[in-house]
Amino acid sequence: MYGWIWRHLPGNAWVRALISLLLVLAVVYVLFQYVFPWAEPLLPFNDVTVDE
Amino acid sequence: MVRTDEDGRGEQPGGPGATAAAPPRGSRTRSRIATAVGVFGELLITVGVLLALFVVYSLWWTNVIADREAKKQSDKVRENWAKGPGALDTRDGIGFLHAPGLKEGEILVKKGTATKTLNNGVAGYYTKPVKSAMPWDKKGNFTLAAHRDGHGAKFHNIDKLDEGDAVVFETRDVWYVYRVYAKLPETSKYNVDVLAPIPKESGRKKPGRYLTLSTCTPVYTSRHRYIVWAELERTEKVDANRTEPAELR
Repeated sequence: MYGWIWRHLPGNAWVRALISLLLVLAVVYVLFQYVFPWAEPLLPFNDVTVDE
Repeated sequence: MVRTDEDGRGEQPGGPGATAAAPPRGSRTRSRIATAVGVFGELLITVGVLLALFVVYSLWWTNVIADREAKKQSDKVRENWAKGPGALDTRDGIGFLHAPGLKEGEILVKKGTATKTLNNGVAGYYTKPVKSAMPWDKKGNFTLAAHRDGHGAKFHNIDKLDEGDAVVFETRDVWYVYRVYAKLPETSKYNVDVLAPIPKESGRKKPGRYLTLSTCTPVYTSRHRYIVWAELERTEKVDANRTEPAELR
């Protein structure tokens, strides 16, 4: 999977490493900005109130 | 390991005669299995990294965001107060909770305990299932909730509050000084009786001016609820310099 991505990136090893880093940062951004805020209420970690 | 297997496979078609000489069938099956195992391993690693990132998000990033938002909203309330006397707009928050034991400084208190409200690093007073009294009401229970972890984690140190500790609520014109007199380190999340106007579980039988703090426990979970009760000791007029009451100095 990751090997496949690596082989399909253009340029030499340094360029590939740089692109990989940017891809990782992009993924982390999307996770923190959109995926985790969406997933959080679905998980039972952060209910603080008493309720009926 | 994974990389080696896959690279080996990648070279195979163009590779020199060594591999071609081997029985093609068995070798292909084996390399296919190797690929499957490799992908499975990478998936496991990915899941692990995702979970680790989620922990970082929950325990650190949500605090960063919430504290920033709480600061903004608190400043707005202070600004409203500075406009001087007149009708008080409490939409942005009714006041600030100061509890030296919590080590969180001032905590903005807003209406309601909706997730959306509490996620901004503020405490909320209950509107349901039991409607909270206001500190200025003659009798009743002023009931608050806030996050234990993440999203500001304003009540993270609730277990550090002990009997006799001061909890002060600040409004535009009055300091309400409460004293902690009872706590319930663990109760069911369905125990709404703790919010009653006379919280019987705290040992009080007569109507009075109570304060109830609620959050989740144990830390990092939402399995149970932690409750702290305090009772109004005295009130103090806010002076021109907003001098804090002795309990906070």
